Amino acid sequence: MTIESSLPPPTAAAVAADLSALGDGELVERTRRGDAAAADLLARRCRQPAYLLALQLLRDPDDALDVAQDALLRLFTHLDRLQRGRPVRPWLYAIVRNRARDLMRHRGRRPRAALAADDPEGGVVLVDDSPGPEDAARRHELQVRVWHALGELSETQREILVLRDYQDLSYEEIAGVLRVPLGTVMSRLHRARRALRERLENAAGGPFHE
Amino acid sequence: MNERKTVRQATGPPRESTHPPCGRRFAEELLSGYLDDALTQGDEQRVRLHLEDCAECRARVEEMTQLREVIMTTRFQTPADDQWDETPRGAASRLARSAGWLLVAVWLVSVTGFVLWGVATGPQGWFEKSLVFGGLSGLALLFVSVLLDRLRVMPGDRYRGVEK
Repeated sequence: MTIESSLPPPTAAAVAADLSALGDGELVERTRRGDAAAADLLARRCRQPAYLLALQLLRDPDDALDVAQDALLRLFTHLDRLQRGRPVRPWLYAIVRNRARDLMRHRGRRPRAALAADDPEGGVVLVDDSPGPEDAARRHELQVRVWHALGELSETQREILVLRDYQDLSYEEIAGVLRVPLGTVMSRLHRARRALRERLENAAGGPFHE
Repeated sequence: MNERKTVRQATGPPRESTHPPCGRRFAEELLSGYLDDALTQGDEQRVRLHLEDCAECRARVEEMTQLREVIMTTRFQTPADDQWDETPRGAASRLARSAGWLLVAVWLVSVTGFVLWGVATGPQGWFEKSLVFGGLSGLALLFVSVLLDRLRVMPGDRYRGVEK
């Protein structure tokens, strides 16, 4: 009897734990080979980033969920097109961004600048790691003000700010998602930041200062 | 990495002619690049030296830093697990589903043809024949309408050529 055959079969939890140590690239490869557990984990990893990007672009939770699910479906349907070794996240972001733009154009509207009465803060929730309640409330107020101001920017300005500052993508990744030259990213980003600052200065509450 | 190097290669001449509030002769967008640590070594040094002397630009960079920090710490409510559809299907499942739809379509066309042939050559009167042919014609028109819509959308499907 070999050592391997004497070992008990791995449990589902052990398999999941084993998979969770893998990077996205390996999960993609396993998904391509038909590994359902790897596909499930990859989908779980991609869900929230896709949803958050869609929410930040569309500012509507229902639309964001629809777009994120559609983007995931497209990602898995066309997974064989992803070149080996290329990261999956920028590809996913490109799909989400394109789908969000299509939706906005189809409906002929900008994202909701005025937020629903039953959700005046647009889904923005307090962070848990703030040093104290007053600081947390103050930080939250600023986050909501920025969120409102972001909704008043043009689509182009909003998406580059979302990709850089909310999603923390590098300039190179942003250039890939938006399909613009790398040099365009910095100038476009700066214009967007300046526009956001002007919106904040003009909005109720005065200039932005933390 | 070489975001720095890549930016240097790709940036070329500044695209924007605006300058910092103090009037210093470099593109204002370099302040953003400085904030994001995305400048070439030379530009980074130029901006850093300028900031040592210019309180106005220092305040601008500080303000942008605070704004970015506020944005980065924003958290959003996210959907619960049960709000998501099941994991998208794999290639084998998609193939089986496509084959299934194809068989159903073939079956539907065959049955429809058989019924039409039976009605056309059968003893039914013109009223019964009109009902059958009219109903099936309506369904066919609806199908063609949906098909034309799909075909019209297909060339504009941006995801077919999405970056690999």
